[in-house]
Amino acid sequence: MKLTASSIRDEIIKGNMDIEDYILGKLELIRKNDKKINAFISIDSEGFLRERARNIKMGIRSGKKPMLAGIAISIKDVISTSFLPTTAGSKILEGYIPPFNATVVEKILKEGGIVIGKTNLDEFAMGSTTEFSAYGPTRNPWDLERVAGGSSGGSAASLSYGAADLSLGSDTGGSARLPASYTCTFGLKPTYGLVSRYGLIPYANSLEQISPMARSMEDLALLLKVIKGYDEKDATSIPRAEEKSYEKFKVCVIEDLVRDSDRPIKSSLYNLLYKLELEGIETEYRERLDYINYALPVYYTIAFAEASSNLARYDGKLYGKMGNSETYKKASIDTRKSNLGLEVRKRILMGVLTLSEGFKNEYYIAATKGRRLIRDEILKVTKDCILVSPVSPILPPRIGEKIDDPLKLYAMDVYTVIANLAGIPALALPSSFYNGLPIGVQFMGKPFSESSLIRLGLIIEKITGISGVIAGG
Amino acid sequence: MKYKIGLEIHTQLTEAGTKLFCGCDSNYRKYKPNTNVCPVCLGLPGALPVPRKQPIILALAVAETFNCRIPESMVFTRKHYFYPDLLKNYQITQYEKGGGMPVCLGGTLKYYDPDLDLWKKVKLRRMNIEEDPGKTEYSEGNILASEFAYVDYNRSGVPLLEVVTEPEIPTPRDARKAVEYLLLTMEYVGAMNPRLEGSFRVDANISVEGGERIEVKNIGSTLDLERALRYEIFRQRKIVEGKGVVERETRHWDPVRGITKSLRSKESEEEYLYFPDPDIPMISTEPLLKEVRKRNITTPEKIMERVSRLGVNRRTAWSLVTIKACAETFLEAVSIGADPIISSRILAIDYKGHLRKSGMNLYKRKNWPDPIVLKKISDLIRNKVYTYDEIKYNIIPKLVNDPKMIHITLPEKASPEKLITEVMNEERKAVWDFYQGKKEALDYLVGKVLKKAYGKAMDPKKVRKLLEESLYKSSNIY
Ligand SMILES: [Zn+2]
Repeated sequence: MKLTASSIRDEIIKGNMDIEDYILGKLELIRKNDKKINAFISIDSEGFLRERARNIKMGIRSGKKPMLAGIAISIKDVISTSFLPTTAGSKILEGYIPPFNATVVEKILKEGGIVIGKTNLDEFAMGSTTEFSAYGPTRNPWDLERVAGGSSGGSAASLSYGAADLSLGSDTGGSARLPASYTCTFGLKPTYGLVSRYGLIPYANSLEQISPMARSMEDLALLLKVIKGYDEKDATSIPRAEEKSYEKFKVCVIEDLVRDSDRPIKSSLYNLLYKLELEGIETEYRERLDYINYALPVYYTIAFAEASSNLARYDGKLYGKMGNSETYKKASIDTRKSNLGLEVRKRILMGVLTLSEGFKNEYYIAATKGRRLIRDEILKVTKDCILVSPVSPILPPRIGEKIDDPLKLYAMDVYTVIANLAGIPALALPSSFYNGLPIGVQFMGKPFSESSLIRLGLIIEKITGISGVIAGG
Repeated sequence: MKYKIGLEIHTQLTEAGTKLFCGCDSNYRKYKPNTNVCPVCLGLPGALPVPRKQPIILALAVAETFNCRIPESMVFTRKHYFYPDLLKNYQITQYEKGGGMPVCLGGTLKYYDPDLDLWKKVKLRRMNIEEDPGKTEYSEGNILASEFAYVDYNRSGVPLLEVVTEPEIPTPRDARKAVEYLLLTMEYVGAMNPRLEGSFRVDANISVEGGERIEVKNIGSTLDLERALRYEIFRQRKIVEGKGVVERETRHWDPVRGITKSLRSKESEEEYLYFPDPDIPMISTEPLLKEVRKRNITTPEKIMERVSRLGVNRRTAWSLVTIKACAETFLEAVSIGADPIISSRILAIDYKGHLRKSGMNLYKRKNWPDPIVLKKISDLIRNKVYTYDEIKYNIIPKLVNDPKMIHITLPEKASPEKLITEVMNEERKAVWDFYQGKKEALDYLVGKVLKKAYGKAMDPKKVRKLLEESLYKSSNIY
């Protein structure tokens, strides 16, 4: 079954499809399946959805042609919505309803999108499997024993079982791309500053971007078009960002970025490259990059440092119930201890360590220097060449398989963190299946080369034939 | 015994209009608790700080004024500590040792000592822009007696300019004068109104030779600053003289009892986990400085020079300069042709005195005379239509209540000769005393004549002269 948001949108505009029927169909599907998949933390009420559907319908009748007319969109629960709770997957934000919408949410609403619900994630987006959610793990619709990836696991799963036709994730070190590759969906981490972060609950501000997710290239491009653009509420968003596309495609493979992957992953990649060559796309093989091996420690050092600071505010004053204690300090500590998950507290602790006097030079400052080296190297390579790599070195792990070994868990991000460190755009899309499990591939371009990545993605979509696929569909 | 004083002055940029990173009001005083807030200054998850232009321009203007070394770009840093009035549990500031870059890396605070008529200098270590936290209030006024504490975040995010001096201020009095001059300058620059409650706080470091450095925190007025420093120097000297040990500590000034009290002994190693705020890109200062320079900023020093060059004596000039509204009135009046000497005397001495006496606000421009009126008055004196005293006694008291006075008329002139004759007839005893050589009798008689002339213009000097002449003329009678 092939089902894309773009085709649904066209049918709706033409009047061949009723928005209310469509949206209530989604709700029905969620009610039926989400108990086992757990893609959602909260779902909009039927009444609210009906009303929203009717309003959009009226708009269309009066001649409007909104870009997302009626499309069911799921949103990662780390992106603020004023009409649904925003928990960041944490107990400490249970029931928190922001008094404002994230800029991207405003844009989606303006284009007639229907936010169907908020999706599950690792607490504060800290994880790669969505198992660290305070609201239980999300299961992979392709194999319920396996994880859907993370931290935007709920968004990816909601797309792959058809509960939503577009989704917003966030990508700090691969958080949108990794789950996309595990669920046969598409995810694009935009160039840093292309999409406003206003309303995105921060994990690591200097690394992350809100990222569109979809079941086809066309849908992905559509959602990116809606959400991108300068926002005066985000000082890191870029005014007048100019597209910088490649004149002709050249795809570069770095052996360092493939070598340690599992066999099915490697062969999927090489197979795809072969087909690309047949299509006349030049490919180049290189042995290594100088600084790429430092990417993982550099990434985690910076991410933890920023996280420890961002999460300082969750102390019971405004979020979480502050109990009675002898002192204010103790009350804060108790609130944090009982409301933040173990993984989150671990990362905060490591972040504090890397910023402490006596350790700062060795960790945080060294990492920022390392980041500059990596970024410069990557920017140089991507100037005339789109980098290709697997998204994840492994197939989707079984639930519980990786969670106990932090080093193995963190290593899942080895290929994805590079784009975040360098601030460049990166696209993950399905390349093939292995034993019924999806495998993805990643392309990284120079800053603001999203349009080239999308064009390349369309070619690949044609080669693989994987587009608009729904698990079990 | 020698001692060293250094200051950290936290000034609010009250006139910035907005908070440092959001559009809320910089003057939070007029709002009900927690109504001058938004997602940004409440530090809500996902809300992002966006540096506002006006606070940064004002801070740069102040830095320019004190000849600061201004870096090419500024970098904001996060300073972490857990406190109820700090919503994010970090304060956004600028700290060069924490990966940041402040608005000023060293400058000179030149301040005026009116008693010595001397410009003095203290080196500035740095100035940095930061956000003010909220405010904690206790149900019973203090923490120990109160069951509840209330936090008001209206102040959260208000722009502060922290000014740090080198520890080289010679005396408590100099400390006070330096801070007063800083505040006056910031008022001239248009950055702050130092008379607003809580618009500045001073932390002072004092170390007496033979002892460790003591920090006295949260001093709320310049008078208290001088008192606190005097007290601390006295206290530390006593300890050192008694062979005791002055240990490094932080103390708190109690303005009611006039003493300092220990807050925490031996500053524990403070760990603020500084790092550059990833939400705020660095800010280039050059384009902003261009705007600052276009604004043609005045300083008390510049005004003092201008006023002095007009021939006004230094003491009177300083008296004009200390009140911006007064200096502005003066300069405007002079620019349309008012006599500078006469105008300065009227404003800085007699008018100011009357304003004070009637309890009116000296800092409100509208309480000062219309420059046109001032020019008319000074013309009347300059053209000898009336004497200065005639104006002083008859016009100025009325002008205070009517600064835009249109009809400047004095009561008809009484003939002094007639009054003198009357007084000489009535006050024979005094006249006799005068002939006996008691010179003070003349003052008495002048006073009587003036009293008779009450309500009418009369020049005391002229009365005196006429009275003397009459007395000599009549001397043969006695
Ligand atoms: Zn605000």
